[in-house]
Amino acid sequence: MAVLSIKHVNQVFGTGTARVQVLHDISFEAEPGTLSLIMGPSGSGKSTLLTIAGGLLTPTSGSVSLAGEPYSERARQERDRLRLNEIGFVLQAYHLLPYLTVADQFKLVDHIKPKTHLTSAELASLLGTLGISDLINKYPGELSGGQQQRVAIARALYPDPAVILADEPTAALDGERVATVGRLFRQLAVERNKAVVIVTHDTRLMAVADNVYQLQDGVLSANQISKSES
Amino acid sequence: MFLALREIKKEKVRSGLIVAMIALIGYLIFILTGLALGLAQQNTDAYNSWGFQNVSLSDSANVDMRQSFMTKQQVGHLSKQEAVVGQTSVVAKAKGHANSVAVLVGTKANQFVAKSIQLTSGHRSKNQYQVVADEAFKQAGYELGDQIKLNDGQHRYTIVGFTKNAKMNVAPVLYGQLSTWHGLKSSMRGIYASAVVSKNANYRNHQSGVKTYSKQTFINKLPGYTAQTMTFELMIGFLMLISLIVIAVFLYILTLQKLPNYAVLRVQGVPSRILVGATISQSLLLAVGGLLIATVLTIATALAMPAAVPMAFDLPILGSVGFGLLLMSLLGGLVPVRSVLKVDPVSVIGG
Repeated sequence: MAVLSIKHVNQVFGTGTARVQVLHDISFEAEPGTLSLIMGPSGSGKSTLLTIAGGLLTPTSGSVSLAGEPYSERARQERDRLRLNEIGFVLQAYHLLPYLTVADQFKLVDHIKPKTHLTSAELASLLGTLGISDLINKYPGELSGGQQQRVAIARALYPDPAVILADEPTAALDGERVATVGRLFRQLAVERNKAVVIVTHDTRLMAVADNVYQLQDGVLSANQISKSES
Repeated sequence: MFLALREIKKEKVRSGLIVAMIALIGYLIFILTGLALGLAQQNTDAYNSWGFQNVSLSDSANVDMRQSFMTKQQVGHLSKQEAVVGQTSVVAKAKGHANSVAVLVGTKANQFVAKSIQLTSGHRSKNQYQVVADEAFKQAGYELGDQIKLNDGQHRYTIVGFTKNAKMNVAPVLYGQLSTWHGLKSSMRGIYASAVVSKNANYRNHQSGVKTYSKQTFINKLPGYTAQTMTFELMIGFLMLISLIVIAVFLYILTLQKLPNYAVLRVQGVPSRILVGATISQSLLLAVGGLLIATVLTIATALAMPAAVPMAFDLPILGSVGFGLLLMSLLGGLVPVRSVLKVDPVSVIGG
């Protein structure tokens, strides 16, 4: 069963002559244990689709459901709660809080969401998987770009969400790092049974994806490219 | 609180600067409050030590005890709750000492004003030519047994005791007997006292040519007193306002710098109340830190200040001022809250 379901979503910005339709009748599903890529050039509507999928933007029409629960029309606080519990965001610029050590980035989640997050053992295992166990007492400013990205991924996974939404996670990485991060997302999807959705224009990630969608001028390609076909 | 504490810990210099600024503002306000209170007390210390509620003066005295002259008939019948006093400004002269402006207060030994004098050394006046002096005389080098002349008179008066906190209009008081005052006012025939003070709040003197005032009315009419206290109150008020603006501006700039971080937290579903709480608790923590330093600085200053400087501290008043500053910091912390609430999480999605 799809954990994230987007149905007939249209998004329009502006009115009159300034009216721009960014998304046209988008339908999309993400299932647990799969990694989906939504690819497209700049301005194709990828980020808008991601904000709608994450409940940050209410679509002009259409619906978004999380684990079968429609939530795009819900109140802001309710969407915040769902996002906190069910969606992990990995952003292009990492955006770790500069005044929190790596350990404190997770402690913040403990404060906000004291009950439902990974156990200490699970977190230690995750940090080990990501190769950042020894960075736990460092501040983001003391980390390289790749290390920050891996901390951001761990931070997104720590609340144990059902869905991971990643926005251009490899934009600032070199080829070797792209392959590493790609494998990591793939591993997270399969081993932790997460629905991972990555919006990107980086074709190098196609190798690790279960499903690849093309978004062009706000239109999502009708026929997805499944990994078995590629 | 978690976010606020971590940020303060990491950004030590930035937080330190804000704490230093609040500490300096707090220190300035505390010192000004101390000076204001000190001056106010030096205007009223002696009156306050008497513990009276009402005072009767001659109606032509413009509520000034030094200008009030009452006959025995105007003084009228006195209960145990009432006392007569004679007050006049004098210049105390003695060999080896600079002339000192003082206030001579004549009292009757069996009435409550004389009984309220708290001696720090020596004994009470036993005759017309003995006086008990405020400790300012002691600080000026006078000792028990020293003799002084008052104004241009030829009589010598012996200092037989010292008392503290006996000041009127910032001048030290010399407590003598009512007859001492009579001696200085000998040219004014028929005059018995300057005023009748009463511990009874309902006391009224209905004699002709006499008016009765409450203690507060009397104090407010002391020459220069209201202008002085209002000046200090205005200064403290403006400083409070300035501190509010400065703290608000600092916190606003700090918060503006953090908005992209807050936008990321909003993306991750962190509720706005957590972010608002972090902003407000940060301002409160910084303010408390600044106020603690200001308190230490104020205590150090008070200890180092010469006794001649009219500075006084009153815990409830300083506590109120500190609470006021804390309130200003809280208000300053609330200014950027609107920006925090309006932070757009979408702004951090996409390139």
